Amino acid sequence: MTGFVLAAIAPITTPSVDWLGVAPVIALGGAGVAIVLARALLRRSAVTTPVCVALGILGVVLAAIFEYRLWHLVRADGAITTMAGMVRVDPFGVFLSVVVLIGTIYALFISVAYLKRESLDAPEYLALVMLSAAGMVAIITANDLIAIFVALEVLSIPLYVLAAFDRRRMASQEAGLKYFVLGAFSSAVFLYGVALTYGATGSTSLTAIGDFLANNTLYEQGTLLAGGALLLAGLGFKVAAVPFHFWTPDVYEGAPTPVTAFMAAATKAAAFAVLIRVFSIAFPLYRTDWKPALWVLAVLTLVVGSVAALVQTDVKRILAYSAIAHSGYILIGFQTGTIAGRQAALLYLLIYTFMAIGTFAVIMLASMTGDDRHSLDDYRGFALQRPVLGGILIFFLLAQAGIPLTGGFIAKLEVFSAAAQSNNYSLLVIGVLAAVVAMFFYLRIALALASPATGGEYFSDRRVDRWSGVVVATAALAVLATGVTPGPFIDWARQAVYFV
Amino acid sequence: MTEFYREYLAVAVLIGAALALVGLMLGVGKLIRPVRPQADKYITYEAGSDPVGGWGQSNVRYYVYALLFVIFDVEAVFIFPWAVGLEPLGIFGLVEMVVFILILVLGLVYAWRKGVLRWA
Amino acid sequence: MPDFPILTAIVVTPIIGAALMTLIPARRPEITRIVALLFTVATLGLSIWLLWNFKVGDPDFQYVENYEWIPGLGARFILGVDGISIFMVVITALLMPIGLLASAHHVDHRVKAFFGWFLVLETAIMGIFLSLDLIGFFVFWEFMLVPMYFLIQGWGHDNRRYAATKFFLYTAVGSALMLACTLVLGFLHEASTGLLTFDFRILAAWGFGGLSITTETILFLGFMAAFAIKAPLFPFHTWLPDVHTEAPTAGSVVLAGVIIKMGAYGFIRFSFELFPRATVDLAPLLLITAVIGILYGSIVAAMQRDLKRLVAYSSVAHMGFVILGLASLTVIGLNGATFIMVSHPLTTGALFLIIGFIYERRHTRQIDELGGIWKPAPVLTALFIVAMFAGIGLPGFSGFVGEFLALAGTFISERPYAILAAVGVVLAAVYMLWAFQRVFTGKPTGENAKMTDATKREILLVAPLLVLSLFLGLYPKPVLERIEPTVRQKIAFLEQKTDYRQKRPHGFDSNRLGGESYKDLAKKALKEQR
Repeated sequence: MTGFVLAAIAPITTPSVDWLGVAPVIALGGAGVAIVLARALLRRSAVTTPVCVALGILGVVLAAIFEYRLWHLVRADGAITTMAGMVRVDPFGVFLSVVVLIGTIYALFISVAYLKRESLDAPEYLALVMLSAAGMVAIITANDLIAIFVALEVLSIPLYVLAAFDRRRMASQEAGLKYFVLGAFSSAVFLYGVALTYGATGSTSLTAIGDFLANNTLYEQGTLLAGGALLLAGLGFKVAAVPFHFWTPDVYEGAPTPVTAFMAAATKAAAFAVLIRVFSIAFPLYRTDWKPALWVLAVLTLVVGSVAALVQTDVKRILAYSAIAHSGYILIGFQTGTIAGRQAALLYLLIYTFMAIGTFAVIMLASMTGDDRHSLDDYRGFALQRPVLGGILIFFLLAQAGIPLTGGFIAKLEVFSAAAQSNNYSLLVIGVLAAVVAMFFYLRIALALASPATGGEYFSDRRVDRWSGVVVATAALAVLATGVTPGPFIDWARQAVYFV
Repeated sequence: MTEFYREYLAVAVLIGAALALVGLMLGVGKLIRPVRPQADKYITYEAGSDPVGGWGQSNVRYYVYALLFVIFDVEAVFIFPWAVGLEPLGIFGLVEMVVFILILVLGLVYAWRKGVLRWA
Repeated sequence: MPDFPILTAIVVTPIIGAALMTLIPARRPEITRIVALLFTVATLGLSIWLLWNFKVGDPDFQYVENYEWIPGLGARFILGVDGISIFMVVITALLMPIGLLASAHHVDHRVKAFFGWFLVLETAIMGIFLSLDLIGFFVFWEFMLVPMYFLIQGWGHDNRRYAATKFFLYTAVGSALMLACTLVLGFLHEASTGLLTFDFRILAAWGFGGLSITTETILFLGFMAAFAIKAPLFPFHTWLPDVHTEAPTAGSVVLAGVIIKMGAYGFIRFSFELFPRATVDLAPLLLITAVIGILYGSIVAAMQRDLKRLVAYSSVAHMGFVILGLASLTVIGLNGATFIMVSHPLTTGALFLIIGFIYERRHTRQIDELGGIWKPAPVLTALFIVAMFAGIGLPGFSGFVGEFLALAGTFISERPYAILAAVGVVLAAVYMLWAFQRVFTGKPTGENAKMTDATKREILLVAPLLVLSLFLGLYPKPVLERIEPTVRQKIAFLEQKTDYRQKRPHGFDSNRLGGESYKDLAKKALKEQR
């Protein structure tokens, strides 16, 4: 009888696993689980928080070591495909994984002081950050629409909770709920896109879809195009592209500032990784269909992001709109559809991580306990009273504005030259003009910082803690280094554009 | 009756059996239980708490239980098909499932240590 | 390549000073001042050394330095100096210590930041004048906004925030379009020749092989947007009076002296070689705006109640002459335009300094509230008279030489414009003399009667500018003989590339027109890259 069953059911071949390929994800996720465990076993002991922080850092460092190994491996032997094609580790993926790791370690560092100040529970927070980071690295190296969707949820759900983490504060709750509802909606849209794409091509693997479309002519393209559009919409939500950006200002404003920093830097890198990967690997032949859509998306994002920020009076909201505008520039790079454009997008994401985290780190340090007052008037005179911190903040703002000799300029220059090289003059001109508009609102913040205080200001004069100090200093140095000697960074991005 | 329709016979039989079973259980209960009507017994059952008035219509503690229940329910959903294919999946499948259950157990330990499971 | 990177040294010296300054404790402002002065004087010394060793008669770029900067984008860090930029460098280096000294004792809050930004500004300006790579040029061009913004915003007068933002945004719009056009130019060159570079010399030699005149015109207009706003050309001049009025004295001196020259410098440096056909085609447009600028600037200047605004509008008029001279597309006109760029900083700088002195005493610049200053302050008045005549362009002062040459060049090629512009010279006398009359002559009343005279320090600040202006007015040869070879080469290039032929006055030796062709220059530039 047993023999009969065995003969009837063919043995299922389990996929071979190249453990190194998924090691970074395991390291990050494992650190997250370990933090939960530490929390459960140590309870409220005095060492709980330090142990959890150490576990988090350990996870990121381990992941970074694996990424280092992977980088050399994939550069030498080509991309690693494992888990039955679900995971694909290529230079592109490793590069953006590293960007996410940078964002994660910075977010951990600035969270330490923040959690203490706001007397929030550290372990859960740290665990959520680590799990979300695991989801991000997973999504960056995912090569299958199903895997992408799963990773998307893994990275998003912790973020919903994190946004609402300061639960005594109404704005934080609102941010969490808003992010959750709209995020769940966008996931559903994405999933629908996955279904339609599967229906049209018969596969969920990106490479298989690409091969299928290369070898077959579709009799009826409606399903595929609708699927692609829904995928674009779902991912557009994550990268905060207009018109899918409505959550951004509220969530950025309401979420705890370190979470905002994490979302701005790491989430953006992860979401763009998917966007670029899906459209470059699965639909390269449908370029003529998605390029116009991306053009519209890029222009809307640039214009709305830059213009809407002009009328804001809250610093975090302004920075939220600026984050939207930055997405617009990255979209320009991607929209060109060229290698140079992709390289520009990669470099932009790297530099943007430093700029965004740096900016939000200073904002976090400047805010008072409660983290609820960030209007321009609250920051008046900040640069006069705290020249070093204020000066660095102004430096970050100038970098975001794209002033030369900062990384922000190099990032924009690369994007613009990619547009110019592919004769995409309309985007080029709209891009440079949007940059000018954007300068205006960065200047508004800088102006408030450098104006004499009128007595209504509301910022902290606490000493900068060691962890945040390290973040601010290294991020500023990185932004300066990418601006003055961009060579190595550009080289690195150039090596990372490939999917093989 | 064609082969095609005969396939559906099983479904019809199953529906019949289900109806019969439910009817039987309710019928037997009706016959043997004592009947002493009281006003309180006719309000909607809400674990002994008053369903009308107040803000929350249910105690927030149920929510945690509901969540835990859903998690372990879903766990079961995954375990059933796995159990069916355990033999062909072999040792690999076993390890995977152990990891899966361990993570869930960890969640349970966490909930327990956080004091979620205590009612008061 | 020269043994000692003198140009890099000139660019970098000020910013090293600024970096050092951050290390000085804030409670020791006097050390800050000394350090700032030291570094500006060191820069001045370097640039005078450069001027001394500048090879006369060579139209080419000298002391060229060429380093890789952004690989993959072809952007390099290339510095070089020619007959036009050498004087801009020297004038900048000269005005900086003077501006610093002028503000040394009335800047009393956040001294460190003030001098730090000032030094950063000097680096940016030097970079603009010396860059031969279009991306490098843009980098300095845009970067210059930052120190200027913070100087105006932090140490300006009442309405400074508005002025600083206006300055920033106006210029940023222009430079954004310039950046777009720079990139397009570079990549068109790549598409046509396969070499991605932004080296000015290589792009100049290329000269749009086979591309349409429309493309060239559009790119020219993109560059022009940046230059016209900065120059400032009518009707893009509206930022200038606001900014001048609100800027601190040192800022005004540098602004009027150097920064508004950058627009004209950009025209002279780039448009002839990069867009020869468009330059010839659109020269009439430039002439018209120049004439409007001259007349409009002069008339509006006459109507001003604020002394600083008056000088600001006079700068609009003077810049009109610069544009007129270069749009005449003649060697003489270009000589004149470049010469004005050298002489105008001297005279306007002096005027702004003196107005600054008056403001420090009276805390007003309103012409109505001043009057009869001659009596209590004769020396100050004497300084003003000299500066005024130098500014009007009285023969014997440098202003005359420049305006005469610019008008003469225009007269050769475009007579009607020259005649119209000449009216501007008369108008300049009108508004300056009228202002002088109202401010200095008459019976001093109230506060004006109690005004103190110029101190020795103040005289020493203004005197070098005026002496230099007088010297160049009497003996312009040292400047002209260095400018002219470069200018000749530009016009010769224009004649090589287009069917434009310079109208020559009788007896003009056409054989002298020439110089090394840009093809050779490009070859040299390529060799450097390897």
